Amino acid sequence: MTTEVLKQHLIDPEICIRCNTCEDTCPVDAITHDSRNYVVDADICNHCMACISPCPTGSIDNWRTVLRVAAYPTADQLTWDELPKEIPLADLPVDAVALLDNNGGGELQTNAADVSLGSVVAPASASQPTVNLHGIKNFISATVSGNFRVTQLGTESDTHHIVLDFGSANFPVLEGQSLGIIPPGVDAQGRAHHARQYSIANPRDGERPGYNNVSLTVKRVTTDYDGKPVRGVASNYVCDLKKGDVVQVIGPFGSTFLMPNSAPSHILMICTGTGSAPMRAMTERRRRLRLAGRDNAGKLMLFFGARSQQELPYFGPLMNLPKDFIDINFAFSRAVNQPKRYVQDVMRERTDEVAKLLKDDNTHIYVCGLKGMEAGVLDALRDTAVTNGLDWLALHQIFRREGRLHLETY
Amino acid sequence: MQTGINYSDKIPNNVNLSEDKALQRALEHWQPNYLSWWNDMGPEGAMQHDVYLRTAVSVDPGGWAQFGHVKMPDYRWGIFMNPKEEGRTIGFGEHKGEAAWQDVPGEHRANLRRIIVTQGDTEPASVEQQRHLGLTAPSMYDLRNLFQINVEEGRHLWAMVYLLHKHFGRDGREEADALLQRNSGDADNPRILGAFNEKTPDWLAFFMFTYFTDRDGKFQLCALAESAFDPLARTTKFMLTEEAHHMFVGESGISRVIARTAAVMNELKTDDPAKIRAAGVIDLDTIQRYLNFHYSVTIDLFGADESSNAAIFYNSGLKGRFEETKRADDHQLQGQTYGVLAVQNDTLIERQVPMLNGLNEVLRDDYIKDSVGGVGRWNKVLEKAGIAFRLTVPHKAFNRKIGMLAGVKISPDGRVVSEVEFAANEKHWLPSVEDRAFVASLMHRVVEPGKFANWIAPPVMGINRQPADFDYVRFN
Amino acid sequence: MNVASASEIELSEGTPKTVTSANGNIDYRTEPSSYRHWSLAFDDVVATLSMNVDENAGLKPGYKLKLNSYDLGVDIELHDAVNRVRFEHPEVRTVVVTSARDRIFCSGANIFMLGVSSHGWKVNFCKFTNETRNGLEDSSQYSGLKFLAAVNGACAGGGYELALACDEILLIDDRSSSVSLPEVPLLGVLPGTGGLTRVTDKRHVRHDLADIFCTTTEGVRGQKAKDWRLVDDIAKPAVFAGRVRERALQLAAGSDRPADGKGVSLTRVERKDEPYALRYANVTVEIDRAKRNATFTMKAPTGKQPDSIQGIEAAGVNWWPLAMARELDDAILSMRTNEVDVGTWILKTEGDAAAVLASDAVLMKHKDHWLVRETIGLIRRTFSRIDVSSRSLFALIESESCFAGSLLELALACDRTYMLALPDDADRAPKITVSDVNFGLFPMATGQSRLARRFYEEVPAVEAVRAKAGMQLDADAAFALGLVTSAPDDIDWTDEVRIALEERAAMSPDALTGMEANLRFNGTENMVTRIFGRLTAWQNWIFQRPNAVGEKGALKLYGKGEKSQFDFNRV
Repeated sequence: MTTEVLKQHLIDPEICIRCNTCEDTCPVDAITHDSRNYVVDADICNHCMACISPCPTGSIDNWRTVLRVAAYPTADQLTWDELPKEIPLADLPVDAVALLDNNGGGELQTNAADVSLGSVVAPASASQPTVNLHGIKNFISATVSGNFRVTQLGTESDTHHIVLDFGSANFPVLEGQSLGIIPPGVDAQGRAHHARQYSIANPRDGERPGYNNVSLTVKRVTTDYDGKPVRGVASNYVCDLKKGDVVQVIGPFGSTFLMPNSAPSHILMICTGTGSAPMRAMTERRRRLRLAGRDNAGKLMLFFGARSQQELPYFGPLMNLPKDFIDINFAFSRAVNQPKRYVQDVMRERTDEVAKLLKDDNTHIYVCGLKGMEAGVLDALRDTAVTNGLDWLALHQIFRREGRLHLETY
Repeated sequence: MQTGINYSDKIPNNVNLSEDKALQRALEHWQPNYLSWWNDMGPEGAMQHDVYLRTAVSVDPGGWAQFGHVKMPDYRWGIFMNPKEEGRTIGFGEHKGEAAWQDVPGEHRANLRRIIVTQGDTEPASVEQQRHLGLTAPSMYDLRNLFQINVEEGRHLWAMVYLLHKHFGRDGREEADALLQRNSGDADNPRILGAFNEKTPDWLAFFMFTYFTDRDGKFQLCALAESAFDPLARTTKFMLTEEAHHMFVGESGISRVIARTAAVMNELKTDDPAKIRAAGVIDLDTIQRYLNFHYSVTIDLFGADESSNAAIFYNSGLKGRFEETKRADDHQLQGQTYGVLAVQNDTLIERQVPMLNGLNEVLRDDYIKDSVGGVGRWNKVLEKAGIAFRLTVPHKAFNRKIGMLAGVKISPDGRVVSEVEFAANEKHWLPSVEDRAFVASLMHRVVEPGKFANWIAPPVMGINRQPADFDYVRFN
Repeated sequence: MNVASASEIELSEGTPKTVTSANGNIDYRTEPSSYRHWSLAFDDVVATLSMNVDENAGLKPGYKLKLNSYDLGVDIELHDAVNRVRFEHPEVRTVVVTSARDRIFCSGANIFMLGVSSHGWKVNFCKFTNETRNGLEDSSQYSGLKFLAAVNGACAGGGYELALACDEILLIDDRSSSVSLPEVPLLGVLPGTGGLTRVTDKRHVRHDLADIFCTTTEGVRGQKAKDWRLVDDIAKPAVFAGRVRERALQLAAGSDRPADGKGVSLTRVERKDEPYALRYANVTVEIDRAKRNATFTMKAPTGKQPDSIQGIEAAGVNWWPLAMARELDDAILSMRTNEVDVGTWILKTEGDAAAVLASDAVLMKHKDHWLVRETIGLIRRTFSRIDVSSRSLFALIESESCFAGSLLELALACDRTYMLALPDDADRAPKITVSDVNFGLFPMATGQSRLARRFYEEVPAVEAVRAKAGMQLDADAAFALGLVTSAPDDIDWTDEVRIALEERAAMSPDALTGMEANLRFNGTENMVTRIFGRLTAWQNWIFQRPNAVGEKGALKLYGKGEKSQFDFNRV
């Protein structure tokens, strides 16, 4: 397997204070040191992440995509004064890129560390997904059949519900999967824009049952991570689409963030903003099954965070769902005259119910939204586990291993 | 009925507190005293702040770092030990190979109690030493780090008190009370170790303290983590993960001070201390002098260079060496020797003492190796900035107050010098009153989110990956 | 001389019984039919105890008990014989201690035995012989049983020390028999079984004469012996027997031992030996060799106890105070000799404290009756053995215990006393009760009660305790009165006790023995405490020194014809 690709775990020697905590924590002794550096042996490290949170500096949380055969040996790492630059994917051999693609190439943009905190396998009962049917070279065209703003006018968030119709073309999707849209035109350097990935917001039988269409939830990006004004190329393109426009689509992607088919199976959904898309897909799948008399009987529980009710996508339709069908919990961080509440805060308020779900082998957990939520949500899950006498470390591993904990943050 | 404490909720623990009546009763008495000590002697004027603190709620890697805003008096000080390693055997000394002790053997009760009390005494001492620093914090980020260290020193006190309460019966409870009754710098009830009765007057001293003196803590804890007394070993092992954060604050703090000074030196294209000071940053010579002071005071904490206690503690399995299990010798050390320094005919010489008696020196030398590494990394900052100045640690014999070298005058480069020469150079070697006054003059409180005092650079990344302008401390 | 009489008990023929049991342990239980070295003869108020040591019946191999010399086995029989006179023969008022051999009374402890014995064995042996000799004086003082040493031949070393323990010494004046203490010139050690002390304190021999006496191997005989006060009288061989008889009867005249008392036969103390325990009817000793401690548990009487002399006589050897004391005595002697590594004795009691107090009341009521008096004497001497045992003594006062009255004395004898406090359970909380018997019925060797010893005879402290006599005192009350060392509650109990015991077990046994002896005997001194303290300490030092036990030491070379070589450095 000369082309096997590895997210190699490395320690940043510039930030590390050589406190030995990681080495002490590592359950497989992958971490060693000399008088100069602390280093991780790629042949031993199993990405268990036990060392990540105890590190006082954050130097532990560094990753480089490399060919396994070309992983940085510890002897080299011991000589470093700083981390090597990330080798762009394009510079890796083609086969390797293809392999990554086959694994759901879209996930490459997320940090390996974060992916690995969740499952890297699908739920056992999930349907077999179709992936990578269409790439950059063989993209598929879809026609916009609808574009609706799903947050109230006058709020900062401008989130759109986009419906794309594939006509007679083959583009099978499952709940939780995503697709890529290639914005037209070129960037400042004259290179074609790369594809942007969006989660699909509808169930497998179409945005409208029986139709060959999909829906997306897209937020217009107006600032960068640091809050500086910026006009997101792809999101503005998508949010400005009009009915009848034709877009270039690649995908579908995603072979792990999938819903279980077994009955009963409980689904615990935690999302913020446009992270609601896969939750909407799964919820709608269950609703349609129920209408068809094939009620799964598993519980649905949703924690949904937004700045305010007005900025929460799909607020209206959600409110119309029967209480015995889904247990919905909102968290608003900027509600007027209200204390800030994040999804994890609301989860803690519902700790008994969450604990019940954690104890149930049929429970599947899905987290989707902004990067910042992930740690808080995992903390809340852990605390719930711990206060209810569960061994979170073990439980977390079980959820991960059984494909029952899926994290998709960006 | 006693009301006091809701054990499972208020005190996170993995020592089965809710089932342990003896421990509960001991804590019922001690915990209110602790809180009143915290309110009296803890961070000044900060009890109502909501501070973004890390709380340990369990010992698994995912469980020991829960972040959230909390008022310090409401901090959930917990009691944690590393998970028990089944079948652990003693790794050194005359009991090597025997099963580790789960209870205090009566034979070693007095020595173990002394070790635990001495370690425990340093924890609240540093909180007391640092209690005024919050008033001059150079940023909200640093203020939070100070408070984090303070609450964790508090937790380390809890850890030692747990051992006293759990394993030492009535006199353990009395010793636990005494830990709250001694106070840093109190002439009538001083802390046990001299270095912990000194004030931490400014943030440069604080960073130096957390770099050097908390590293002493690390080495002591590492040595105790090898102990044949398993509860002590497991407790100190878990404390090490927290101690690492304190050293991080020190190392990165000094690093940021240096980075800022280097930036100003490059801006002004000068290495003239007067001009550098005039620009409101700390000149490298002053940093060097602070380093000399804290380094020499800290290595005294390892004790006399030849010590029968050290030999007894090691041979009986109470306290091992740093990384004992990684060493490839016989772990008994009978008949072996180790070099310690002495002065003969006005020169420093090395003389051999029985290794067992020299174990304080062994630990001191391990510490020196470790602390020199960080100084090298500070120099990297200077190197990157293109500045030729390099910080160095002074000679091991410099400014020593304990052991054979106490009272001997040694220059930072290791020469025996006369009283006169030492006095003449003292202001170049150790922080002078003027140095301290200058550093003090820079200490003004800067606490707007994302803002930093002029004399220190911002950190590379936020705590728990929070953005630069995160509100680590909410003032109420 | 001929001391045979109608009631003389012959040495048994047939297979000799031995005092060593199958496991090599020394057994202190014996009876006259098993004696190898002594015979007892009774003639109205006079009993004659004749020494005739079987030189081939040493307790251990490696030496012959020539010339009426003794080892521990000889003394075990002496101890038994005296007890039989005390209990089985209330009519006896004087015991004549003499020899059945011609021209030799007793030549003392066997030198070769000492030469081959460990230091610990020697110390334990000397302790027991001291206790036996002190016992003679104790019986003379408290029970009116008088002892006359009829020294009818050479009397050297330990032989003279035995004579010194008697009320009177009558030496045969045959121009050759002498009394002597040749240890210093001959063996390089001391006459350590009370010899030096009794020569001065008891017999008031002038110290310079004593100096000559103690450095002269051949000793002193005849008139000079009498002049120097080494003996009370001398008699020519022809009149010796008559003088013995005469003196014995004169001594008897001063005794109040009854002519019509109903002796109690001292049947064998029943003991079940288990690998980790000794079990008696009223005493159990459980031995933890790994932790090097043993737990003695004394049980209170159960069932109806006699309260009249008739009832006591009917109960005889099974009367609880007598039975308990005999069993405890055997347990102490057995543990001292056979479990030398077991350095800590934990004393516990079990049963109904009221029954103990009731039994004590009977003791007090009839304390002047000869049998009760002898029983009190036995208890007193047994408790005294505890005081001088070279073991750390910890009393543990727990629920279901009965540290009251006579059994409380055990706790008072201990180096430390731990009493369980049960603040939440007043009913189950253990109590102790002080009674009359704690104020002097069982004095220590010092003559003090253990309470008086405890409080240095300070009146307020003793009176505060007396004010609470008869009351049940829980841990806090006992602690407040200073009667217990520590009163941990149920939460602390296990750990406090465990750690205290472990801590103790880790310390130097020598230092502990020395420390404990110093702390236990903290006040008044008398001849007995000087024997156990000063004389024994010196002897133990000398016994360890090369000048005595080195390859060229005097004790080692005795009888080998080789001159000992001393290190003349004065220490």
